[in-house]
Amino acid sequence: MPGALLGAELSRPFRLPPHLLAALVPVLILFAALTIFCLVDLYRAESVRGLPKIAWALIIVLVSWPIGALVYLFAGRDRGRPRRPTPQPAAGASGTSGAIGTAGTGAGSRAAPAADAGVPETDHAGPGAVPATSVRAATAGQPAVPGDAPEHSRPVVTTTDLTRDYGGTGLFDVGLRVPDGCIYGLVGPNGAGKTTLLSILSGIRRADRGSVTWSIDRSQIAVCPDVPEFDGWLTGYEIVDLARSLVAPESGRQDVLAALRAAGLAEDADRRVSGYSRGMVQRLGLACALVGDPRLLILDEPTSALDPAGRADILNLVAAMRGSRTVIFSSHILADVQRIADRVGILRDGRLLYQGATGDLIDTYLRPAWLVRIAGQADQVAAAITDQPWATRVELAGADSIRVDAVTIEAGERGIPAAIAACGARQVSCEPVAADLESAFLALTSSVAGEAS
Amino acid sequence: MTGTAALAGRDRAEGRRMGIWRLEWLRLVRTPRALALCVIYLAFGLIEPVSTKYSAQLVHRLAPGVRITLPPVTPAAGISSYVSNAGQIGLIIVVVIAAGAFSFDSRRGLATFLRTRVSGMWQLVGPRFAVSTLAAIVAYLLGTLAAWYETTLLIGHLPAGEIAAGILCGSVYLAFAVAVTGAAAAVARGTLATVGLAVAVLLLLPLVGTFRAVHDWLPSTLVAAPVDLLTGSHLSGFLPALGVAVAAGALALALAVNRLSAREI
Repeated sequence: MPGALLGAELSRPFRLPPHLLAALVPVLILFAALTIFCLVDLYRAESVRGLPKIAWALIIVLVSWPIGALVYLFAGRDRGRPRRPTPQPAAGASGTSGAIGTAGTGAGSRAAPAADAGVPETDHAGPGAVPATSVRAATAGQPAVPGDAPEHSRPVVTTTDLTRDYGGTGLFDVGLRVPDGCIYGLVGPNGAGKTTLLSILSGIRRADRGSVTWSIDRSQIAVCPDVPEFDGWLTGYEIVDLARSLVAPESGRQDVLAALRAAGLAEDADRRVSGYSRGMVQRLGLACALVGDPRLLILDEPTSALDPAGRADILNLVAAMRGSRTVIFSSHILADVQRIADRVGILRDGRLLYQGATGDLIDTYLRPAWLVRIAGQADQVAAAITDQPWATRVELAGADSIRVDAVTIEAGERGIPAAIAACGARQVSCEPVAADLESAFLALTSSVAGEAS
Repeated sequence: MTGTAALAGRDRAEGRRMGIWRLEWLRLVRTPRALALCVIYLAFGLIEPVSTKYSAQLVHRLAPGVRITLPPVTPAAGISSYVSNAGQIGLIIVVVIAAGAFSFDSRRGLATFLRTRVSGMWQLVGPRFAVSTLAAIVAYLLGTLAAWYETTLLIGHLPAGEIAAGILCGSVYLAFAVAVTGAAAAVARGTLATVGLAVAVLLLLPLVGTFRAVHDWLPSTLVAAPVDLLTGSHLSGFLPALGVAVAAGALALALAVNRLSAREI
C-alpha cells in the first residue's frame, strides 16, 4: 500500500496525503532513470574502477536511492576505456594490406610512416577517396640524407638578439637562422633554453628584447610540445579533427586520416585518448601538427617518450619532410639530431654556441683520430708517436692498439705510417675513428667553457 | 579486416565534424557534467517543495514529543526552498563545471595545443562561456519547472508570468556567474584555484548587498528574484541588477579574454 511507504521506517503507519503520491512520481522517475542509466552504463563498460562490476551493480541498486548511482557515476565509471572496443590487428596483419603501411598499434608493430607513401587508399577510403593528401606527400619517399637542404636558401625564421631573462637563466642574444626546407636540430643540456626558444617561436612566450622575423604566415606554423596533453574523453580522430577545424577548416576527413596514418595511429583513431600510452599521445601530438600541412613544424623533444622502434618511425617521418617543409626540433638525444638534422644549433646556458651544418660542426670541433693496430706490442710505437709534433693525444686502446689524435687529417695520414715505420713495427690496420655529434658537442662545449674560464 | 570497427567509427564521425563548439558539447555529455547539473537541479526542484509542505509532519513523526508550530505554507515558500538550495549548491556545481572548461591553461600541453591553433582568445572563451551558461540555464529551468509542478500540486497555484520572470532573472545571474568564473580562470591558473576565487567573489556579493544603497544594483539580488516576484515585487525592480549583471558579465568576459591573451605558458 503506497500510504505506508514513508512510514515503513517509523513505528506507526503513515498515510500519504492525497497529492503526495503524484508529487513523488517525478522524483521516483528521476531516481529510476538515473539508476537505469548507471546499470546500462555499467553493463556496456569494458571495465570499471575500484571494484568488480557485480559490486558496483549492487551498490547502484542497494545503496540508498540514488546515492549508490551517483557514487558509481563519479567514482566507478572508467571513461578512459572505449565503450565499443576497437579490434586490434591480428598478428602479421600489418603486411597483408599494401594500402596501409601503419597497421600496427603501439610499439613494435608500426611500419615506417614513409612506407605508406604513394599507395592508393582504396582499403580505407573507397572509390571516391582523395588520392593523396599533403601529409602523404610530405612523407613520400625514403628519408633524405642530412645535408640535402640548401644551405643558403631563404630563412623561414630569423631571430636577432633574442633575449628572455629569468634572472640569470633563460635565453640571451640568440640569433637563429633556419633555412627553408631544412631539418634544424636544437641541442643542449637541460636548462640550456631550448624550450624557452621554441616557446618564443611558437608565440606562447614573449622575449624581453630582440626580434623574430618570419618569411611565412604565422598560420603556417604548427607546434608539438614535449608533453602533449588532450582531453581524455575525446578519441584520437576527434582530436586531430579538432586541430584540422582550427587550422585548416577547408580540409577534410582524408587529411585527418592521413595525419593519423603518418603518425602510426590509424588503428587507434577511435579509441579515447585517456586509454593511450605516453608514446601514443606523443604521436597524436605529431598528427595534430601535421594535419594542417604546415610550412614550419616546431617539435619540442618529439621522441622523448617513444621506444626505439617508435623513435625510428618518427625520425623517418621527420626526415622525409626535408625539402617539403621546415622542421625545428629540439632533442637531448644527439644521435637523433645527427641522424636527421642537416643544420644544428647548440644552446648552452641560454646562448647559441654554434649554428651551422651538422657535418661542419663535426669537422670543425672534432680532432681527427685513428685507431691503429700493430703486430705485437704497441707501447714503443705509442711512445714514438707521442713525440711527434702533429700528435695531440696518444693512448693505448689495448695491448696491440693505439688511438691517435692529430692536428689535421693530412698530418695524421702522413705521420702515423711514417712513425710506425721508423719504429720498425708492422701496421695491421689504421682506421679513422667515426666522428659523431656527441663528441663534437662535448668538444665544443668544453672549448667554450675553457675560453670562459 | 583489421580496421573495420575503426572505419565504422570514422563513418559515424564523418557526418559530425569536430569544432570548438562540438568540443564543448562533448565536454558536457561525455563527462558527468551535464548529468550532474540536471540531477542536482531536478532533485532540488522535485524534493524541496515536498519537504517544505510536509516539514512539520516529518519532524513530528521523527520526534513525536516535539510540537512545532509553523506558519501556513505558501506557494512562495515552496519555490523559496528550491531557490535557496539551487542558489548555493547548484551555483557551486555550475562554477565547478565552468572552471573545468575555462582553466585549460592548467595543463601546459593542452594549452599549447589550443593556443597555437586559435586565431584569438575569444575563440576559446566564447564557446566555453556560451555552452556552460546554456547548460546551467537548462538545468536551472528544469529544476524551476519541477519545483513549480510540485508546488502547484501540493501547496497552491503559482502565476506563470512571475515564474517566467524569475527564471529570466536566475538565468542572467547564472550567465554572470559563469563569466565571473571565466575571469577567475584568467587570474588563477588551476581549476581548484579558479573555483575558489569565483565562489569567493560570488559569495562576497550578498555581503556587499547588506548595504542598502547598493543592494538593488547587485547581481546577487537576482538569486532571490523568483521568490521576491511571487511576494509582491515587480520585474522592473530588478532591472538595475539585471543591467549590472549583464554589464559586469561582459566586463568579466573581456577581462578573461584580455588576461588569457596576455598570459604566457
